[in-house]
Amino acid sequence: MEIEIQLTTSPIAGKIPPPASGAEGAWLEFRGVVRGEENGQPIAALEYETYPEMAEREIRRLLEAIAAKHPCLAARVIHRVGIVPVGETAIYVGMAGRHRGEAIALLAEFMDRLKQDVPIWKRRALPAAFREDDVRSLILPQKKIETPHVVSCKSLDEAIAEIISRCQPLPPVRVSLKESFGRVLRETVSAPEDLPVDDRSTRDGYAILADDPSESFQIVDAIHAADWKPRQLQRGEAVRVATGAVLPCNGVRVVMQEHVERNGDHIRITKREASLNLRRRGEEVKAGQPLVEAGARLDAGKLALLATAGCTQPLVSPRLSIAHFTTGDELVSPEQTPKPGQIRDSNSSLIHGLLQPFQVELGQTHLPENFDAAWSQLDLDRIARAELVLVSGGASVGDKDFTRPLLERLGFEIVFSQVNIRPGRPLIFGVNGTRVAFGLPGNPLSHFVCFHFAVTTALARLSGEGVPTSLQGRLATRLDDAACPRETLWPARLEWNDGSPQLHPLTWASSGDVTCLASANALMRVPAKVDSLEADAELEFLPTTGMLGA
Amino acid sequence: MRVLFFAHLQDATGCAVTDLASPSPLNHEQLWAVLLERFPGLLAHRGNIRLARNWEYADAETRFGDNDEVALIPPVSGG
Repeated sequence: MEIEIQLTTSPIAGKIPPPASGAEGAWLEFRGVVRGEENGQPIAALEYETYPEMAEREIRRLLEAIAAKHPCLAARVIHRVGIVPVGETAIYVGMAGRHRGEAIALLAEFMDRLKQDVPIWKRRALPAAFREDDVRSLILPQKKIETPHVVSCKSLDEAIAEIISRCQPLPPVRVSLKESFGRVLRETVSAPEDLPVDDRSTRDGYAILADDPSESFQIVDAIHAADWKPRQLQRGEAVRVATGAVLPCNGVRVVMQEHVERNGDHIRITKREASLNLRRRGEEVKAGQPLVEAGARLDAGKLALLATAGCTQPLVSPRLSIAHFTTGDELVSPEQTPKPGQIRDSNSSLIHGLLQPFQVELGQTHLPENFDAAWSQLDLDRIARAELVLVSGGASVGDKDFTRPLLERLGFEIVFSQVNIRPGRPLIFGVNGTRVAFGLPGNPLSHFVCFHFAVTTALARLSGEGVPTSLQGRLATRLDDAACPRETLWPARLEWNDGSPQLHPLTWASSGDVTCLASANALMRVPAKVDSLEADAELEFLPTTGMLGA
Repeated sequence: MRVLFFAHLQDATGCAVTDLASPSPLNHEQLWAVLLERFPGLLAHRGNIRLARNWEYADAETRFGDNDEVALIPPVSGG
């Protein structure tokens, strides 16, 4: 059965051709038109409201249920919503049956059940006093009908864009090379000279003129890696060279020592290779060429390159100071044995570990649930120095009761307090000048998720690094899920298969799940309202710090 | 969970949507207790309201959890 369902704010066309599969037998059309009176009063128009996601599903469900009783070849249902003036079509239904009797029965039953079950409402009637122009002005332009309050909640992408726009890079500082590890380079460092600075040998062997056809050579000198001994070679002359040694002159080649026979201070070449066995001056990098670009986070390899270039005081992001608070009277430290109703605090260890690659200065404090008691314990000077404040909400205390009042009292303006994702929806984001704060939902998995899209984005922006972006991968196995109205960031194990990223979804039952964190190295972005995804489906994912090996 | 109100229920509650947090899934009775505490104006409509969970009408066994979109559906009048 071919089914077409539309909810539209635009007038329904006067003539609608039947679908291909409804062209045989009986094609029955029905139009419900707005009458000039409602409850005995003359009116100008009706306004319809709908719950579009559910209305569409319910219409489909009704059609399928009815078709199980009377064979139906095709059905088309168009319902107008918003303002519908008197005399215009509010609903159009087309039904294709094999015979007229079936089609009539189908239509009658469908209309009865639509009026009982499909979430569409006559919201109000515009009195007849309304002029036609006024009625027309109230008709919404054609657009995708959405449940307005659902879209008003920040999507994941909107939340990330908001964080990017509210966080500005902090002023950079010059520090020693070793101290700069883990910071973000803030000015591009270019090669001060060619690398390597001279032609050098890549073998232990003998340097001879590249075009010297002689068979026997006299050894006239020896050059070690640290030596500087320029000399113009003549035909029949060879210089013993070590790997990395600066060559004596231009126009030479190095014969590997394995390819010569040495007899006193003479050698005879036993094999001539095509390779010259040397690294040319500037072969790796030319003077002035960028070595490390601004915005790169400095890892061991980049530090080695900066050292090679003699950049000993790189301009980098400042070391970020972070204040992290946990709350929840049910939490005990991991060393303690929890009493009934208590649990060990895992969020402190999680946040501490997640922040390691960023080389921050982290202060962690546990606060009592009672707001006034907590406030009296705060080191306000220390907090005022923190560029980033993180508050882990306890499971037993609502975020609304603790985290938000705490951040507001600390002077943060709350930018958003919800993101349309699972897990991790009650994420709070606040700003106070250049300082930012997050209220992280209490459960460890929510922490993990919120850290990897929200906190990492803020850290990147404050440090002047490019913000993390989603990557593309493929689902390794079929994913079944009860459709969720929100986008899901699903913990996964990313493995490489023939050079392409394969995502293995991990099992998690609730946002309190900790076990999956030990294996997760990626978060898959499963779109909202998806019941299942086939194996090999393409998905975006966010790498986690575990995947980066940090 | 996210709870949506439609048609005249928006007048009764003064909003189109609200968020409820619950440590464990709620049955009908428990959900109503929470709703009526926050929106006493719903009491007059309770007998006519059907509950939906994730775009499907709920049945007696349905439990409403933190990740669900719940809708209060007053009598419909489409067509």
